[in-house]
Amino acid sequence: MSEKSENAKVHPSESGSGSGATDGEDKKDGSTFECNICLDTARDAVVSMCGHLFCWPCLHQWLETKPNNQVCPVCKAVINKDKVVPLYGRGSTNQQDPREKLPPRPSGQRTEPEPGSAFSGFGLGENGFHMSFGIGVFPFGFFTSMFNFGELRPSAAPRGTPQHMEEQFLSKLFLWLALLFLAWLIFA
Amino acid sequence: MANIAAQRIKREFKEVIKSEEVAKCAIKVELVNDNYTELKGEIAGPPDTPYEGGNFVLEIRVPETYPFNPPKVRFITKIWHPNISSVTGAICLDILKDQWAAAMTLRTVLLSLQALLSAAEPDDPQDAVVAKQFKENIDMFQMTARHWTNVYAGGPHVNTEFNEKIKRLQDMGVDDHQARVALSSYNWDLERATEQLFTARLTLVIFV
Repeated sequence: MSEKSENAKVHPSESGSGSGATDGEDKKDGSTFECNICLDTARDAVVSMCGHLFCWPCLHQWLETKPNNQVCPVCKAVINKDKVVPLYGRGSTNQQDPREKLPPRPSGQRTEPEPGSAFSGFGLGENGFHMSFGIGVFPFGFFTSMFNFGELRPSAAPRGTPQHMEEQFLSKLFLWLALLFLAWLIFA
Repeated sequence: MANIAAQRIKREFKEVIKSEEVAKCAIKVELVNDNYTELKGEIAGPPDTPYEGGNFVLEIRVPETYPFNPPKVRFITKIWHPNISSVTGAICLDILKDQWAAAMTLRTVLLSLQALLSAAEPDDPQDAVVAKQFKENIDMFQMTARHWTNVYAGGPHVNTEFNEKIKRLQDMGVDDHQARVALSSYNWDLERATEQLFTARLTLVIFV
């Protein structure tokens, strides 16, 4: 298996030859560009981060077969659909765009160089403006903080005493006031 | 059969035939049918093991989803090994199950099986009886494995003591393979093997 991985490494000097590397007879050179899955010359070639060459349809099918355990078929390094690099040989532009075929081959990843003057205009450039929308619950918050609903009062008078009666009366009064206020808020 | 499977097996077949292991007679592959779905493999027992000098025949079935799924391989030649069933020849090897990778080939599978013969994994057994013997009595295991290699795989080491015990059981009307299995399972203790064979028969008779 180790010699296979040696074979699969692409020599930079030869990488331009693309699809037409094999004549059938010329096995020695051709095997350098063989897909590690179908053992044929790689079509729509992609290379993994660990350096192993595959046809994109072959690798795609392998990744589909083991969705939970995606490893390189050669060296079992962890691989990922987004981390394979397509190989574009010279002359391959004449062919049909491989991405139009199914399954689509992942595109190459290239980052634009940073522009020289990076003045972004007060931070209001492409995504500098934010707007938020929300509904407050002001009156209810107001009530709970003013009338202490739901909280234990500091000095609850013992049952039966006149003070207890008074407190009961007061709490009922305030409750009714609150309800009236609510009703007024809703119907007014 | 899916095109990719047949194409690949054809290429692999050529690869194995040309490989240096074939030149050294270590591995061999033959076609069983024309559409490359079934093959016959052969591996030589590795040196310095009880399997030395034997030739082990394998049945290789290629699934339609090959090479995305592993080939189904089992031993046709009877073998005494912790990771291979002495009854069915089924193999317990990770690369033939969940550790299969699409870049593996017939050649690597056969070489892995050869490696399995020289490095058994008794903690992940296929045949519990063999694995127990391997762990508890390694000398007995090696003698038994060598005897099986001699009888079934053409190995050179003849064990006259074992052969005599089998002959004794054969004289009682037991089939030679059955006698060998019973004796092997009971560390070549003739009494216990006889007991096991005949109580099994007795229960069968009662059952019938």
